[in-house]
Amino acid sequence: MVGPLGYTIWLLGALLEATVVVCSLFRGPLRRYFTLNLYMAMSVLVNAGRYIIFTRHGLMSSEYIYFYYYSDAILTICLYFALMGLYAIVFEELGVTMRLRVFMMLLLIGTTLFSYSVVHQSESRMLTHYIVEISQNLYFVGLVLTYVLWAALLKLRESRVRVIQIVLSLGMYFSINAASYALRNAYPNLRFVWGYLPVAAGVFLPIAWIYAFMKFDDEARLAPGRLAAVPR
Amino acid sequence: MSRISSAIVLAMLVLTGAMGLKTVLTIHGDSSVLMANGTAPIPPTPWKNGTAPIPPTPWKNGTAPIPPTPWNGTAPIPPTPW
Repeated sequence: MVGPLGYTIWLLGALLEATVVVCSLFRGPLRRYFTLNLYMAMSVLVNAGRYIIFTRHGLMSSEYIYFYYYSDAILTICLYFALMGLYAIVFEELGVTMRLRVFMMLLLIGTTLFSYSVVHQSESRMLTHYIVEISQNLYFVGLVLTYVLWAALLKLRESRVRVIQIVLSLGMYFSINAASYALRNAYPNLRFVWGYLPVAAGVFLPIAWIYAFMKFDDEARLAPGRLAAVPR
Repeated sequence: MSRISSAIVLAMLVLTGAMGLKTVLTIHGDSSVLMANGTAPIPPTPWKNGTAPIPPTPWKNGTAPIPPTPWNGTAPIPPTPW
């Protein structure tokens, strides 16, 4: 049963995701951040589809359950491509685009093969198990990749505010979801909190991206801190 | 060639790290699924519903000998309480 709070957060999330695409369209970075916008646009479409099926068949119906998990796998793949786009932006000046693409595609293939190896002994609903497994595994790969990108930003002394804002918000988003999952198992009596935390994180991500697209220009840079005066 | 090799090694490292992290987080889990996209209400996992046959549990597979159950022994088995 979904209460008024659940409906409100759901609607708010969908509206914010649509706002990210609209902001990106009007502020210009649609092409540069194409994969991020593709993920948000897909989220809007998926939310619309989920709402239609939810209202027709209900939360516990097979239709909604299958649509939810299959569409979630598509969204996770889109999120992976969004990360791929961010890597390309961060490393664009190093001229390693081709190597990055090879690395990301190898990782994607490796994850699909690993997921298959986990579920291939399932006797029933193998495809569903596979879809859910690949979604989970890609999620954790995305989590690790975001932290690697975060470390790369620090190492490369990246100063583009918009890129930093997007990567940090993505790191927060992944971390909140992973932490709420782990804490849900540690403290099962607070299930209500752990149930709503990932959903709230789903609202946080588009807000952070709207802020990044509206507040900062693509060339906006972090002001350098105090410069060290080196005596000669 | 070395570039491709380094890409393969890096990909394997990231995959290993990610699966290790997944194991750490899910080892004490209730076999629920981590869902992280969108704000829609999360339904139960597909294989908890329906009338289709439930797949065998993982510990029924493999060739290793099955350990004895705790209630084995030489004492006579009492009748069930009901």
